[in-house]
Amino acid sequence: MPPPDDARGQGTRQTPTVLLALAALLLVARVVVGVMDARHPREKADLVAWQPIAEAGSRAAQTGRPVLYEFSAAWCGPCQAMKREVFADPDAAAEISRSFVPVQVVDRQREDGHNPPDVQELEERYHIDGFPMLVVVAPGIEPQTLNGYPGADETRRWLQGAMMRASVGGARLQPGSPLGGDGANGANAPDTLRRLR
Amino acid sequence: MIHSTLIQALLRQRAASPVRMALLLFMFFAPILITASAPGLGLGPLGNGYGIVIVIAAGMIGQDVSSGVLQLLLARPIRRDTYVLSRWLGAALGGFGLIAVQAGLCTLVLWMRGAPPDTRDLALLLGDNLLLALGLCAVLALCSSLLGGLGDLAILFLATLAAKLMEGASQLAHSPILGRVGTELENVCIPQIHLFEFMSPSGPPWFAIVSYVSTVVLCLALAIVVVNRKELSYAAAG
Repeated sequence: MPPPDDARGQGTRQTPTVLLALAALLLVARVVVGVMDARHPREKADLVAWQPIAEAGSRAAQTGRPVLYEFSAAWCGPCQAMKREVFADPDAAAEISRSFVPVQVVDRQREDGHNPPDVQELEERYHIDGFPMLVVVAPGIEPQTLNGYPGADETRRWLQGAMMRASVGGARLQPGSPLGGDGANGANAPDTLRRLR
Repeated sequence: MIHSTLIQALLRQRAASPVRMALLLFMFFAPILITASAPGLGLGPLGNGYGIVIVIAAGMIGQDVSSGVLQLLLARPIRRDTYVLSRWLGAALGGFGLIAVQAGLCTLVLWMRGAPPDTRDLALLLGDNLLLALGLCAVLALCSSLLGGLGDLAILFLATLAAKLMEGASQLAHSPILGRVGTELENVCIPQIHLFEFMSPSGPPWFAIVSYVSTVVLCLALAIVVVNRKELSYAAAG
């Protein structure tokens, strides 16, 4: 039996000229765009799909996801660090947007002398006395809070833990119907519902 | 350039491996079971389909070289670039197909439990996984063309480990250059674009897009060059 390659000579081989030229071109483009990015860095935009405060309750009931409130203020340095390092990180932002109903609550007390009523009501309800503060609210469990910004890794770990605790509570109560579940497990569900609304 | 028979052959070859099938069954059903027991997690348990893609794509060329299948295959009128591109596309579509079915079943479970996922989340998850499958399979095609058997996994593992070590070392040594090299190496090992970044107010992530496309094209071009240079004749083997 003749050797297959030899029999066909160079027939099975063809230099991928177009692909190689394209690869070279793209490598140059990669370096150029990389240098441009380094010179004019993109503003690290917040990538989380934040929901309006008014819609949080209905979206949580509809999707069965816990609500994540992020209490912050424009003047607060650690809040901006959290935005840059957590909410602008594609992986973290995707995780947050998929796992929670994320709601941003921005304090305007210092700038405007007062807060919009919905912001004020949420700050009083969750006893917000500093920024940033994350609050995870889910039926069946007490609200979980993270006070301050302990760094990106710690914040992500806390969010994952809060998500697990919330989902265990939510599973007991049948997500999508927050009043479900037995009396013991769902004891504070109506209260949580009121909070969500 | 793409040969449908080669794609089907790859998928049949994968389905014939008991170890692969056992791993795939576990990776396929575990997230669905987690979703069924804790629907509050939404589509979270699906994560990305990295594991599924790896199991399907590992050894896509190297195993054919080691077992002598490639030698027999190239006795037919099939060009080597067609072979490489078909293996790449077959592995990527196979992996993505499985992830899409898995996402469909998770959605069904969530829907039955009264917590249907957001359509946008589902679309983004599928889009991200399609890009991940195409990118990762291109990298594995190159690694697999370099080493026989499952040597591609060793290359990918070592390169990813090196990238992580460089990133860690850059923080200890306060060296942003080392960190950047580590990040770039990691992006080459696992080329990926997050689609929701396109919705960012600061515009599309051009660097991520160019990096992704250049990695995929470069890996495929190099894989074809490496396979072209392989001497598969009986005379050479002897």
